Amino acid sequence: MDEEIVDFALEYARSKKVEYAEVRAHSQVQDGLMLRNGVVEAVVSAVDSGFCVRLIADGGIGFASTNKWTKEEARAIVNLASKHARAANRKEKLVFAEEKGVKTKWAVAQKKKVENISLEERTSTLAEVSKALSSSKVKIAATTSSCSTNLITKYFVNSEGSRISSYVPRLGAYVFITVAEQGKTEQAYEQFGYSGGWEAFSKWKIPEKMVHDAMVLRAVITKAKAMKPGNMDLVCGSEVTGIAAHESCGHPMEADRILGREMSQAGRSFIYKGGQYWIGTRIGSKAVTVVDDPTIENSYGFYEYDDEGVKARRRFMYKEGVINEFLHNRESAAKLGVKSNGSSRSINYDREAIVRMANTFVPPGEFTEEELIEGVKNGVYMKSFTEWNIDDKRFNQRYVGREAYLIENGELKYPVARPVIETTTLKFWTAVDAVSRKVEFDAATCGKGDPEQGVPVYTGGPCLRLRKVFVK
Amino acid sequence: MMDVLGKTEEIVKKAKALGADEVIAKTTYGKYRQVRFSNNQVDIIVAWNDYSTDIALAWKKRLVATQIHRFDEADASIKRLMKLAKVSEENPTFGGFAKGSFRYAKSRADKKLKTLEKPAEYVSEAVEAAEKEAGCKVDSGGILFTKFEDVYLASSEGPVGVDSRSAIELSIRAFSEREASGHGVECRSTLKDFKSARAGAKAGEIAKLARNPRIGDEGTYDVIFDPLIFGSLLGVWGGMASAYSVLVQQSIFVGKLGKMVAPEMVTLKDNPAAYSTSNKVFDDEGTPTKENVFINRGVLKTYLHNASTAKLFKTKTTGNAGLVYPTPWNIEMGAGSASKDELFKEVKKGLYLTNTWYTRFQNSAKGDFSTIPRDGIFMVERGEIKRSLKDLRVSDNVLAMLGNVAEVSKERQHVHWWGFEADLPSLAPYVLIKNVHITKSK
Repeated sequence: MDEEIVDFALEYARSKKVEYAEVRAHSQVQDGLMLRNGVVEAVVSAVDSGFCVRLIADGGIGFASTNKWTKEEARAIVNLASKHARAANRKEKLVFAEEKGVKTKWAVAQKKKVENISLEERTSTLAEVSKALSSSKVKIAATTSSCSTNLITKYFVNSEGSRISSYVPRLGAYVFITVAEQGKTEQAYEQFGYSGGWEAFSKWKIPEKMVHDAMVLRAVITKAKAMKPGNMDLVCGSEVTGIAAHESCGHPMEADRILGREMSQAGRSFIYKGGQYWIGTRIGSKAVTVVDDPTIENSYGFYEYDDEGVKARRRFMYKEGVINEFLHNRESAAKLGVKSNGSSRSINYDREAIVRMANTFVPPGEFTEEELIEGVKNGVYMKSFTEWNIDDKRFNQRYVGREAYLIENGELKYPVARPVIETTTLKFWTAVDAVSRKVEFDAATCGKGDPEQGVPVYTGGPCLRLRKVFVK
Repeated sequence: MMDVLGKTEEIVKKAKALGADEVIAKTTYGKYRQVRFSNNQVDIIVAWNDYSTDIALAWKKRLVATQIHRFDEADASIKRLMKLAKVSEENPTFGGFAKGSFRYAKSRADKKLKTLEKPAEYVSEAVEAAEKEAGCKVDSGGILFTKFEDVYLASSEGPVGVDSRSAIELSIRAFSEREASGHGVECRSTLKDFKSARAGAKAGEIAKLARNPRIGDEGTYDVIFDPLIFGSLLGVWGGMASAYSVLVQQSIFVGKLGKMVAPEMVTLKDNPAAYSTSNKVFDDEGTPTKENVFINRGVLKTYLHNASTAKLFKTKTTGNAGLVYPTPWNIEMGAGSASKDELFKEVKKGLYLTNTWYTRFQNSAKGDFSTIPRDGIFMVERGEIKRSLKDLRVSDNVLAMLGNVAEVSKERQHVHWWGFEADLPSLAPYVLIKNVHITKSK
């Protein structure tokens, strides 16, 4: 990464009589390893490095990027971005919400440096998953696993005086298993993510988790009973709480979606000006608070400053059941007359920064998990999920249980096969009457943007108890 | 251009000299442009210039790969790759890269797509067409995307080639009301016959019909799938034809070679032909691409292979090599004999779905999945659209749906947009499927 070229590009952009300009450089040292049934399939190692310029001219936004590090190329992309911004020919001129320039450096420390981890160690660590599965005595038809390390260096400068350098080592792992018993199959997928060093692997405990999943899948095939559909209580495990928080709170609270900027792709939101829902409207019970927080140390979605140079902070999106605060970047914030809350993220130098979640979760409540279950006469405990989806206004969602148990008179009875909750955002969050204390997180890759920008996030929360919802 | 090919070949020679058994290098010089718009106005115009060389090498059945962005990084990268290969573990199923010298078809890429002048005008045409067809004020959003890539490939196993690949896509979603929208796309490999107004008109037409939607009812329906939604499903199902998906049990086609998986009217092919936005004359191993019929008149004939999986399955490569795994390029469904109108007339009472997103599986080996239709959802009675519906979900099984295909239209459209789960373009017809399970929120 050549900071001199970045600074040069900014100065050149300023000379183009623009309202605003920024240059963001992004370098990633990536190492990946893929295993099939415990055998190395491929090893991938690459360095990706480039920079982009984004500017506002005549009320339009132009963006251009390159991975060729020369001043000539810097001039070329500034010229292109400037030409494109003016060609937008907008009636409604775009501005960014006000921010002061920031000069800072931030970094995530590693306890065990990934640079010092040999390929042999990476391979043997990942291969432990297959070894553990083999010794579990569950019949595994196929396992695929991968792990990646990504050392991300960024350098951001803008025409308001910001100059921010950052360094984040990010680790990810994926495992997908197919269990085959009695001529039937069941599948499970797990993702792991962390910002920090190789110590992540000792925290994740992937072999133990996958063996647990394998045994759960075997039980689904051999022991689970079909659901009798009906209205009943539902206890959601943290994994289900997390996906619901992400899909039916985080996404609909993205201000660019609310304003229609994603209308053709990720969609709009059930929240819109002049509609039934807006800031101050009740969307859930008093027990419901959902936050998004990039500042959780070592989280997969961690950052101190977003990709527009705005300081990150916790956002209370649903607060005690009421719609409270949207996620903003500087463009959406200006349109709604507020300040950005640091939610602007880009996955690489060749992508514009847009409104994104970081770590979305339900904060801890007052109960133990056991107390939630004890309070259920007839219901289901959906600990984890397989298939899920939600409509593009983020109102109609469906979660299908992977590990799930029938609850009778406050006790877990037996596994149930793929229970389904298919309901609305309003009904889901309104039905919550109790929240447990212990918060757990899962790593995920959140999809949005065109071209697609999968960003690392956490989803999570404690257990939730929902009263009288339809489960089938 | 030949200088770039020479430098790409040089990488292969250097890796061989360092002891690699087999090497492939592929250099891509790409120019990509995009206009994003919403609420009938341009939000941002984006340009990417991307220069990269993908290098894959094998040493004693160890496969390692990298990507570099400058030729002067090549020596260090190859040395690092060789080091990695030597500490990696053997992949006993690695069968080598494609071998042979080939003559490739001539690329028909459109050089005008290197620097498309006034791209925002294509957007205006689409927005105006949507409004005209809807007959009212509409809110439109979407993208115009252009691609021009020069690709240079060299392999130690013989293949050497140069290809140019171009594409232009316009995707527009038009809202006539808050919950009434239509989506249209126009996808071409060249500017010839590219009409952005056609996509706008389709979006406007559906948006008009979609007004005043009611929440639909759960049940089992005969469903007409528009080319846009069916193309999205074809991409997901076509991905399951990759031999890699089969090897890792993420495919409904495991163990079904030679078996009927659909009625005779169903023929599915993979074909990165000149018309397709994923046009290419060779794959990532340098094997010439071709039309591969993987379901012929309902019978599963083959999986899609690179040289390595082909060896494992005791067959020949189908020209579907990605850098590491075999991948489909462009799924085509064979045209049927009925016109679109005739297909509609076959439905006494059913649904017409125009678009979808968020396709997810409970079990990709069994094919249990759901997907959420978006934009126009219509009740069809005696072949006529009777009313607009909303908030429904297709919750079914891929093999069951393939088995229940009842009619396929003559008309087909080349389709692709952001919401395609497999990000794979298709050539898709209107398709009538009987007894599709539809669910909704309760």
